[in-house]
Amino acid sequence: MSIETNNGGNREVDPITLSTVWHGFQTICREMRFMMERTAQSFLMAVLQDISVGIYRADGSTIAMPEGLFDQFLGTKFVIDHIREKFGDELYPGDVIVTNDPYHGDSPHLPDWGFIRPIFHEGELMFFSLIRGHVMDTGGSFPGGYFPNAYDIHAEGLCIPPVKIVERGVERADIAELIFNNVRFRDEMRIDTQAMMAMTLFAERRVLELVARYGADEVSACIEEMITRTERAMRAEIASIPDGTYYGEAATDDDGTILDEPVWVRAEITIEGDEMTIDWSKSDAQRPGFVNRVLAATYGQTFGSVLMMMDASLADYHNEGSLRPIKIIAPPGNVTNAQYPATVGGSPVAMGTQMIDAVTEALSMARPDRALAAGGRHRGEYTNATDPRTGRPYVRTSFDYDGSAGATAGYDGPTGPVFLAVTLRGNVEEAEIRFPWKMLSLEAVPDLMGAGRWRGGGGVDWRAVNEGSAGLMASGSSDGDEIVPKGVLGGHDSPICRTFIQRDGELIRVKPHRMQDLQPGDVLIKLSSGGAGVGDPRERDPLAVQLDVRNEFITLAAAERIYGVALDPESLEIDEERTAALRAGPAPDVEVVIDEETLTVQLRERD
Amino acid sequence: MTRVSVDIGGTFTDCVVDDGGAIEMFKAPTTPHEPAQGVLDVLAKAAEASDESLEQFLGRVEQLFHGTTLGTNLLLTKRGDKVAFLTTEHFRDVIEMRRGIRNLGHSVFDQIRPSYEPLVPRSLRFSIPERILYSGEVDLPLDEAAVEAAVATALEQGCDAIAIGFLHSYANPAHEQQAKRIVERLAPDLHVVCSSDVLPTLGEFERFSTTVVSAYVGRAVSTYLRELEGKLRASGLRGSLLIMLSSGLMQTVDQCHDRAVELLASGPAAAPAAALAVGKPLGQLDLLEVDMGGTSFEVCVIQGGAVPTTKDAWVGEERVATKMVEIRSLGAGGGSIAWIDSLGLLRVGPQSAGADPGPAAYGKSELPTVTDADLILGYLPADFFLGGQMSLDVDRAAAAVGSLGEPLGFNLEQTADAIFQTITITMAGAVTEACTKRGHDVRSFAIVAGGGAGGIHSAPIAEHLGIPTVIFPTAQPVLSAMGMLIMEIGQEAAKVGVWDRTEVTAEQLEETFREMTAAEHETFERMGLDLNDVNFVRSIAARYQGQFHEISIDVLPDDDREALVQRFRDHYEDLYGYALPWRAVEILECHLRGSVDQAPLTRLADPGDPPPLEDAKFGERQCYIGGSQVDVPVYYRDLLHAGHSFAGPALIDSRTSTILVPETFDARVDADRNVILHLRDSTGMPEVAGAAERARG
Repeated sequence: MSIETNNGGNREVDPITLSTVWHGFQTICREMRFMMERTAQSFLMAVLQDISVGIYRADGSTIAMPEGLFDQFLGTKFVIDHIREKFGDELYPGDVIVTNDPYHGDSPHLPDWGFIRPIFHEGELMFFSLIRGHVMDTGGSFPGGYFPNAYDIHAEGLCIPPVKIVERGVERADIAELIFNNVRFRDEMRIDTQAMMAMTLFAERRVLELVARYGADEVSACIEEMITRTERAMRAEIASIPDGTYYGEAATDDDGTILDEPVWVRAEITIEGDEMTIDWSKSDAQRPGFVNRVLAATYGQTFGSVLMMMDASLADYHNEGSLRPIKIIAPPGNVTNAQYPATVGGSPVAMGTQMIDAVTEALSMARPDRALAAGGRHRGEYTNATDPRTGRPYVRTSFDYDGSAGATAGYDGPTGPVFLAVTLRGNVEEAEIRFPWKMLSLEAVPDLMGAGRWRGGGGVDWRAVNEGSAGLMASGSSDGDEIVPKGVLGGHDSPICRTFIQRDGELIRVKPHRMQDLQPGDVLIKLSSGGAGVGDPRERDPLAVQLDVRNEFITLAAAERIYGVALDPESLEIDEERTAALRAGPAPDVEVVIDEETLTVQLRERD
Repeated sequence: MTRVSVDIGGTFTDCVVDDGGAIEMFKAPTTPHEPAQGVLDVLAKAAEASDESLEQFLGRVEQLFHGTTLGTNLLLTKRGDKVAFLTTEHFRDVIEMRRGIRNLGHSVFDQIRPSYEPLVPRSLRFSIPERILYSGEVDLPLDEAAVEAAVATALEQGCDAIAIGFLHSYANPAHEQQAKRIVERLAPDLHVVCSSDVLPTLGEFERFSTTVVSAYVGRAVSTYLRELEGKLRASGLRGSLLIMLSSGLMQTVDQCHDRAVELLASGPAAAPAAALAVGKPLGQLDLLEVDMGGTSFEVCVIQGGAVPTTKDAWVGEERVATKMVEIRSLGAGGGSIAWIDSLGLLRVGPQSAGADPGPAAYGKSELPTVTDADLILGYLPADFFLGGQMSLDVDRAAAAVGSLGEPLGFNLEQTADAIFQTITITMAGAVTEACTKRGHDVRSFAIVAGGGAGGIHSAPIAEHLGIPTVIFPTAQPVLSAMGMLIMEIGQEAAKVGVWDRTEVTAEQLEETFREMTAAEHETFERMGLDLNDVNFVRSIAARYQGQFHEISIDVLPDDDREALVQRFRDHYEDLYGYALPWRAVEILECHLRGSVDQAPLTRLADPGDPPPLEDAKFGERQCYIGGSQVDVPVYYRDLLHAGHSFAGPALIDSRTSTILVPETFDARVDADRNVILHLRDSTGMPEVAGAAERARG
């Protein structure tokens, strides 16, 4: 497929101008994100890239969406609708609107604060720019926003409907005071919110430069052409998938309020010609706990998951045209379309991840050549305590304790944090300066991943010791102790994960979605499974199995019992004869488990 | 004073000689298996041109500058050494996990791709019990027995090099240095590199990755430099030998051995300086420096007269965090091989016939390449290639290109033209990408053409993109080598402060800078440079308290803390558009750049009135243009004078390259004898384009 073929039926635009405008919008978004990373003081935004940016037309349609967390920005048209409805003609150049309200501002949860700036050219509203990032605090019962079992959305924190924090270039001091009086770490919060507002201004300048250079009509014509071309390419892409209905499902361990009861999302994907419908109706009903998704978050997450499976040559060109051939159904009251005042705090992790998995599972059946197995779960926590070096409170979270990527058709999953496909890990050295935790381990552990013809990336043994004060830890952003990420096309599921605190020689198990006390000297241990596999492991190239053993990604026992490859224990040479015999025989039903006393990874016959 | 530069490209080794009276340029084939030979060959040519023996010639060279992409080639073709990596126990996957599974800038919508394969496989990454804290304190002493065991295994496994990277070694390098001594004792033949030597900055992933890359290419680069220096000395060189670094500075061979990573892209890093030296006098500060040699095509986007550098570079799949001139590279050159893919479509590159066997026309292969197409189209002279030093085999080129045309149903000329158009579009795409992906419109730039094949192919790229101006400097065929005669000599150093970041005093900074300056003094003395000529520039890395990224702030004499902090605050506001006057400022690192300007290049004498243009005309060559054979006038570049101008189509031959002036362009020669092409019917006089850009900015 090529998106360069002309004949859009739109006003003729010169190909170089089109290319410059197209890449120009993409570049503005990338630079916004880059500058935000350079200026933020929140670990999540500056290092882990929990930020999204986009540029939209006045009607809310997407012009550029190169980078971000799907649920943070792919549903921005909803918030633009809200803003236009609320403010009508009372939007002015120099306005900045802030909102984190899931029910009126379409934020996935309260910590994701969005800043939206209307962009005018010669008095006419042409565009909106958005930046949305996970801020350090948003009030509520506990810092960070991922605490389970809040009573309702109001208990989760300060809920800001779309309000102008800046009007015609002047900050509204009373609004700012109200907001910053209701969050912790107000100085730090001011740095990050200042930076985000500045980025929307940067976007405005750069967009208006484009308009000044080519003229508003020419830029609009280019945008039409961009959207037309992308839509055409996207339709061709969907048409290449065999018609039919495909099914995928995934669950989180529990909702944090009703404990130990999984919550399911179920995607039914129907392909009909060049259109795709994703129906979430068969998912569980809205929950008392914090795993609920609002419609905008479902919309963004679903689109992002679909686009991940589309032709990679389109990757840098997606826009409104990519979204047009896709229809999403999520009935009100469903966990995928929660209604006020449902809590939503944990839903980007617990449900966001699952929505990606459900969509990719279904589409992997539709397009086995692009199969994508589920990745390791996010194994996060928010720790709140005091740093004795400064005497100040801190909030710590990270992504480095996550498992790795799932395998894809043709390739093993890479080892490394993969959460929601975009985030990064921070350096150990930086984290040790920032937080009073000494890292003891960040290393892959053999066998702790889903096997397959192409296997998942390695599972991770993460350990750190608390050198700070006693405190509290919310494991609300963890998952994967009960329900595992699924393999596809015969690939194995990822194993279950475990988290412990080692205190005075005792091991205390910490489940996801709980609150846990912390003491000085506690060692926090996370054994996080890697990604799931694609294809039958007994079809894996024996040379790749041998290499995995040599590299200690898998053990000799796993080579033999899971992959059906016999190696000499000393030389690690392949025993061809025994391998052939193993692979001709029945596959032993072996699962990978974590021994909860020794904290080692074991193979066990399934009952 | 005679200064000489030699740049090894994929196909040719280029040489520029400035003896104070004139500037001369030479080319000799690159000798990939023994690159030093190509260097000696091209120097022998230079000696011959001045009727001297190589000994006589080298005897009067005071400075010889050298650039080589040897390191880059090893890395990109994965032919570096087998490396073992010694690292802090329980952290051996840092270089595999990187900062995330996708390189920065790699789209989230592109997930199905091969996993990263680290340069050091997991089985050769050795866990060493030891631990240093962020404060530099030793938390766990180095387990020497573990280092000894690891070295023994590495030797058994046949490793050639050992990289050492421990946590927080920027704060205290003691354990790394201790381990290095053990390696040197047990395995004196292995190349050993410490992260605290290569890149002593905070952030283990970037530091370890850069260190492993340095170990991977280090021994080969080091061996080559030693051999080269030995051969040059044996051939009579008494002056200094200086190596081009990727940061854009020149350095002695001694200083390069332990930091081979700084030689990645060492040749191409010089070309932007040469392009800027040409653009500046023309008032053109927005330049696309393009360099097309035999193997690769490089683009550097120079905006507002600044050569871009970056510490965020990835070379192939490897993160290299040392400072580098920012250049985009593509497998497209004169030697790029044309082929037909499984869909029956014509493709050109990225494989190259290189120097050996080279294009079919060179007489050794049957490979149809861009050079063969250029020859068949009449753009290249069969009998005057490289000024007649090398004749091209037209029949052989025709056979190679013709055989490719059969399945396409094309005749010979049509096939050659299709190859020509395909490579033009490929390169034009790379230029657009480098430029518009930053949001710049390519049409507001001027191209400065470099490289042997850049003569024929630069104007067609400009034509394709609507770029109004193409400048062919006198040094066009040897642009990187010319840049080496322009760039500063020197080095940069960084030191992470282990101090209270918001309280550090001017006195503490002064003391740190004084130590760093003393260390650099030694280096400059070893280079035989007069310390009075060294220009030291001090800067600090600072940020608002709590941020994660720093910006660089110059330190001026007599700056007190308040002055520095205020300069940071002002610069921050300029960069990002807002200020945080209430927030404390942290100072994290000291940077010291010591450099010496080179002698100015010899300028051409005032040309006076030009002789008639007809005197420079060499006759005509039949070229295949737009589907028919056309007689195109051929000029000889050495006979073109300031003030000459003519319309395309035309060809300009020289001893080192041929320039194609397409029929849509006019050519003129300026006072420095640069050939400048303007797209007819465009407003693009270079002055106009530059002024418009400045007016906008």
